[in-house]
Amino acid sequence: MNVHTYEKVWLIGAMVLIVGFIVTITYGSVGLGIAMVDDSEETIEPSELDEDERFADPRVEQVGENEYEAYVVAQTFIFQPDPIEVPSGSEVTFYVTSPDVIHSFSIVGTNVNTMVIPGEVATMTVEFDEAGEYGVVCNEYCGSGHHTMEGELHVVPDEEFDMTELSVEADDEVETGDEATIEVEVENRMLEALETAVTLEIGDETLEEDVTIDGGETETTTFTIDSADLGEGDHDWTVTVDDYEDSGTLTVTDELEEDDDE
Amino acid sequence: MRISKAGLLVVLALLAPLLVELRTVLSWVNVELTVLETAVVGAALVVVILVWAFLPENGDGKTAEGDASSEN
Amino acid sequence: MSNAYIDDFPAEAKLVRTAFYSSFLALALGGVFGIIQTLHRTGYYRFIDSADYYTVLTAHGVFLVISFTIFFLVGVFTWAITTSLDRGVEDLRFTWGWYGLMAIGITLSGVAILAGFTDATDISASVLFTFYAPLQAHPMFYLGLVLFVVGTWLAGADWFRSWWAWKQENPDARIPLPTFMVLTTMLMWYIATLGVAAAILLFLLPWSLGLVDSVNPLLTRTLFWFFGHPVVYFWLMPAYMMWYIMLPKVSGGKLFSDPLARVVFVLFLILSVPTGIHHQYLDPGIAEGFKFIAMTNTMFLLLPSLLTAFTVVASMEHGARQRGGEGYFGWLTALPWRDPVFTGMALAGLMFAAAGFSGMINAGMNINYLVHNTFWVVGHFHLTVGTAVALTFMAVTYWFLPQITGRALWSRSVALGQVVLWFVGMTFMSNAMHRGGLLGVPRRTAEPQYDGFEFEAAVGSMGELQAQIALGGILLTLSLVLFFANVFGTALNGRSDELPANEYAGTLSGPEDAPLVLDNLKLWTAIAVVLVIFAYTFPLLSIVDRGGLFGPDINPLPVSLETVHLLAFVLESHATGALESIAWLGVSR
Repeated sequence: MNVHTYEKVWLIGAMVLIVGFIVTITYGSVGLGIAMVDDSEETIEPSELDEDERFADPRVEQVGENEYEAYVVAQTFIFQPDPIEVPSGSEVTFYVTSPDVIHSFSIVGTNVNTMVIPGEVATMTVEFDEAGEYGVVCNEYCGSGHHTMEGELHVVPDEEFDMTELSVEADDEVETGDEATIEVEVENRMLEALETAVTLEIGDETLEEDVTIDGGETETTTFTIDSADLGEGDHDWTVTVDDYEDSGTLTVTDELEEDDDE
Repeated sequence: MRISKAGLLVVLALLAPLLVELRTVLSWVNVELTVLETAVVGAALVVVILVWAFLPENGDGKTAEGDASSEN
Repeated sequence: MSNAYIDDFPAEAKLVRTAFYSSFLALALGGVFGIIQTLHRTGYYRFIDSADYYTVLTAHGVFLVISFTIFFLVGVFTWAITTSLDRGVEDLRFTWGWYGLMAIGITLSGVAILAGFTDATDISASVLFTFYAPLQAHPMFYLGLVLFVVGTWLAGADWFRSWWAWKQENPDARIPLPTFMVLTTMLMWYIATLGVAAAILLFLLPWSLGLVDSVNPLLTRTLFWFFGHPVVYFWLMPAYMMWYIMLPKVSGGKLFSDPLARVVFVLFLILSVPTGIHHQYLDPGIAEGFKFIAMTNTMFLLLPSLLTAFTVVASMEHGARQRGGEGYFGWLTALPWRDPVFTGMALAGLMFAAAGFSGMINAGMNINYLVHNTFWVVGHFHLTVGTAVALTFMAVTYWFLPQITGRALWSRSVALGQVVLWFVGMTFMSNAMHRGGLLGVPRRTAEPQYDGFEFEAAVGSMGELQAQIALGGILLTLSLVLFFANVFGTALNGRSDELPANEYAGTLSGPEDAPLVLDNLKLWTAIAVVLVIFAYTFPLLSIVDRGGLFGPDINPLPVSLETVHLLAFVLESHATGALESIAWLGVSR
């Protein structure tokens, strides 16, 4: 078989190009550590995500000093959680699955991009160096509302990031003279301890208590208020812990009147 | 004419990808053209090519290409 | 009396004509849906509900990449077999039989898709061309696809039958090049369609009929891509055939090398199928090793395309020099640019080179993260199937129409304008699609406008990209209008007695230079099958093992695959390496 000299040169050039591509891609995988989405995760029953310890409550968890795990559910036509919040300078591993059809989880303008297949859990580990806000889109057709499927990822500056959760249980109504209680539960989902103050404002009063909450723990602060000091009527209250706030109204009623009514 | 009419048509068509990519390439050297500026550059190039194509051939040695295409 | 195809093979010309007209009908429908989509997506004109966009998109995809391309292919291949073997089909009833089956099949699928526009029936199939489960279409959609594919299988059988009959009479002759191309392409197609046949017959059709409750989405998806990648070569091979046997002729010369053309088609036969997993680089549930195998195979698939680039350009240069072209680049002006057949194919080839570059990016396993499922991919395949294939088909149509209708082409000037307009329109559209993809704009969406964030363009703005896409789409639509004007105009012309003869290009280096082993179709098929087994057995077993045949927790196979993964990888790398070197040595000897 006779092959023209130019054609031989071309052929050799083509082979060099091809081998060169394979070498650079291998270098990307091995040298730079760009891992592919793979089969490292166990399969999952798509119809039973509600009972799964990771996906029943889609959330971000801290697993190391600067390491976080995000459990994300992509379903028609939303992402949960939304927005996803992680601190800057962190390494985040996303675990993404779907209870219904095939979706994708793609952070716009980055190379964070994976298919989300029901029954499979996609994982990707990503480093977020700088703070910023990104859009999240589904880029696989998933049904008639596909174009509305979007979410957000907020990379919060490291020093502003926390995983504090505030919940308040307060009396709605007390009789004059009785004590009203406002119970404030503060959960610190970070690993390191949180030093902060719980502040209650009610009427003209401001009560404050310093708390230290160990990593992964919940502290309860109970404020007791003498309703006589407030007087009869509606009193708005606000509980503040760092940037979190909860508020409500306490009604102080006249004991005697109520008795008369009955 | 220095080039066949069909040849001229193809040359003008090939301007399209050149112009479209030109903006991207220029942005690498921090020259950002607007659409209007790109269109002006495009129109100027079209005029240059047309003038070149319709200039009479005067056998000054630059017309070898035109000769070859004239048979079309 | 002229020597056109219709004079030599009137009955076959009728079949080719019917296949072409079927193809053009699909092209017209696909074009209409294309412009609706372009204007809707870019936001310039929305008259359908965004939910219906996906029905439009399904129709655009299926009509263009299944009906338009494959009906054209069966026409070209029938012409190629009958012309190069110089014999009519063996049994005309059989030939019309497979055509009928294909037509019925695509009609069923098409009706299922279009029924999605009306609420009068509950039939719909807005599942896009890829029909990924758990999205479910009406059974009629799947059934139609099966009949269509079976039709193509029988068409292949028809062409093999012609070849066997010819071989009885010419026992020592080399397989004529066009026939060789048809046969290798069909062998590839038989292997490739096993995937989609299995996906539909074993899983999707029973599931849509309610016979089984669930499917394993990763399994049906993987079986789809088993077929989904080689199908692009099925579209491309008739275009390649035209570049090899038609382009040199219209350039005024001969094909540079017959043996290398055979090598190219053999490489496509053996390497087309074991690459499908490169569409699944980002799928969870498939090990990285399997993706790596698909990546290396894909990269080696660049070889036949790069060889084609050389041969095509060399053949054109040869033609130009026969026409008096001189100089390093001066010969370019000696090419027959006035001829729409030539210009269309040359521009298609040029765009295919650009498509090759964006394809190399797609194939790069890790850089794929950036572009996977973005608008970039849409830009890529509008250059491949949307230009390299479609523009080549439209260009050669201007040669074929007189051959199969017996009428002179209505207007060569309109034809030239049409192919150039397609090139310009696609330049605008595809460039903006590629750039949009780099910004993260997704493909397959009715409204790429989101509430929570905006895409940030590096150069220009999103608005400019949208405008560029709309402009491109409008130019492409105009180009289609010109194309159909010529098809109709030609059909209305009177019968002409002065048609060019039915011929294809001769060769500078003929089949006598090709090693005999190249014609050993059994050998190449065996190698192709072995490569497919290497590339797919273990991924498929692993997927079934993980997720069950019919979905999670059903029928798990008691197979442990931990060690097998590694073994498969090692075997495959060696086999591929060995094959490449064989092919390479074979060529350079």
